[in-house]
Amino acid sequence: MSLYVRRRIVNAVGLALSMLATAFGLFWLGWLLWTLVAQGLPWIDPSVFSQPTPPPGDAGGLANAIVGSLLLTGSGIVIGTPIGILAGTYLSEFGRKTRLAAVVRFVNDILLSAPSIVIGVFVYELIVLRTGHFSGWAGGMALALIVIPIVVRTTEDMLCLVPVSLREAAAALGAPRWRVIFAVVYRASRAGILTGVLLAVARISGETAPLLFTALNNQFWSLDMGGALANLPVVIFQFAMSPYEDWQHLAWAGALLITVGILILNIIARVLGRARQ
Amino acid sequence: MAYDGSSARGRLGLRPMGSYKREQTVEDPRARQSWVAEAGESAEQAAGESSATCIEVRDLSFFYGRYQALQAINLELQARRVTAFIGPSGCGKSTLLRTFNRIYELYPGQYATGEILIDGSNILDKRQDLNLLRARVGMVFQKPTPFPMSIYDNIAFGVKLYQRLSRYDMDERVEWALRKAALWNEVKDKLKQSGTLLSGGQQQRLCLARAVAVKPEILLLDEPASALDPISTLKIEELIEELKGEYTIIIVTHNMQQAARVSDCTAFMYLGRLVEFADTDTIFTRPREKETEDYITGRYG
Repeated sequence: MSLYVRRRIVNAVGLALSMLATAFGLFWLGWLLWTLVAQGLPWIDPSVFSQPTPPPGDAGGLANAIVGSLLLTGSGIVIGTPIGILAGTYLSEFGRKTRLAAVVRFVNDILLSAPSIVIGVFVYELIVLRTGHFSGWAGGMALALIVIPIVVRTTEDMLCLVPVSLREAAAALGAPRWRVIFAVVYRASRAGILTGVLLAVARISGETAPLLFTALNNQFWSLDMGGALANLPVVIFQFAMSPYEDWQHLAWAGALLITVGILILNIIARVLGRARQ
Repeated sequence: MAYDGSSARGRLGLRPMGSYKREQTVEDPRARQSWVAEAGESAEQAAGESSATCIEVRDLSFFYGRYQALQAINLELQARRVTAFIGPSGCGKSTLLRTFNRIYELYPGQYATGEILIDGSNILDKRQDLNLLRARVGMVFQKPTPFPMSIYDNIAFGVKLYQRLSRYDMDERVEWALRKAALWNEVKDKLKQSGTLLSGGQQQRLCLARAVAVKPEILLLDEPASALDPISTLKIEELIEELKGEYTIIIVTHNMQQAARVSDCTAFMYLGRLVEFADTDTIFTRPREKETEDYITGRYG
């Protein structure tokens, strides 16, 4: 009986500790969200979405930074996703046990955890120095380099979840391999792959370091991917560090916008992931 | 030996079957093949070769890497009959079945030696086009494997691979296949619904319909009812009974009663060897070999 009592005590202690740890983690998250909302919400008004970033002392908004962020994130996803999906398909469908696949997988894991500032410097060296100016394309490239390993990993994982029996069944009907993959395997894992892409979007929409070296910033309204482009993370970085109060307010508003955007994307990704079952 | 291999795998588009037929320049009269054809045509061919040998296995050995799973099998299967492969787990009956459409080639390291002649041509020949072979030799697996698409598209998927049908013809083909699989009445009002939402027994009949829809000559059934409840099993068995006039059917089963009920001939396998092959009646009443007798009387468990 004493063994039973001891087990119950250990259970109670373990349970209490793990709940405490959970509460500890959630506490900071809650505080962070609360601060963001408290500091950012008062400054969110229509002009944030309609006017470009102002000089200190003037009225203005974040319109150019929002559009710039959408352009940069969009180009990063458009460049990175197809490459990532194709590489993930190779790993799962063709190279599963080959040496090359093992090497690719290993390198991909390194890339996955590479500090984003290193990627920024790399693209700076590769594109910005050679072309002689900062540009949206360089920013998109840097973000694509962050997207690729994430999409490779999720694509491979999701394709591996598709039962072998499904591939056999499609092949047994006389379907060539590419058709088995496109019509059956992709279809079975499409929610999962899409989830991976959304998570990649969430990841890069807050990246600052790679953009500092590539797209930099632009205080004017611009849609030109060939030149420096305003974007939320760098604007937040610049405005939050400034001594001007109205800039700091805009930085809070921008931080809230990014966070809410990422939150929504994460929720969509979760819902889609659940729809898979 | 087979056709001249002019239609390399990569060039397989979506052209209708007939155009392949014209392409094949047959060197050897023995290699003349009745590829998948339109219904009327295949019925005529059927009349001409009804009691012929359909599949002839010669000295077939099979390897999973270095492990030899089949030991020089020799076997002749009759066209338009049901043949059952029975034997304990791991005896090689599924392995043997999987050589008939070379589905094992999805996995590196698995290979077969010897010959398998289907209508006279060796399908183990390197020049045999795998996708065309699989269009002729359909297969249904142990676990139901509906594709993640609508019931209609599940059936149409295989048909579209080798035939261009008008919308009307495709509708007809889908209905025909579903009727063959005795599923039509249950799903006719929800053809757009996902195939994965059906019950296990319905899913398996959907897979059967899918295999039948491409009008293969041979149907391979790998324990098609072992994951199903008795009522669904009965339906599958009735289907086999109904299909056997038109197709050469080979069924792997763990269930000896099932083999006795549905098959014309039975092959008993043990440890990668073909121990005995004869009429189902003979196997179950007067087996020649002691091993067969031990198995069917339950002494192997």
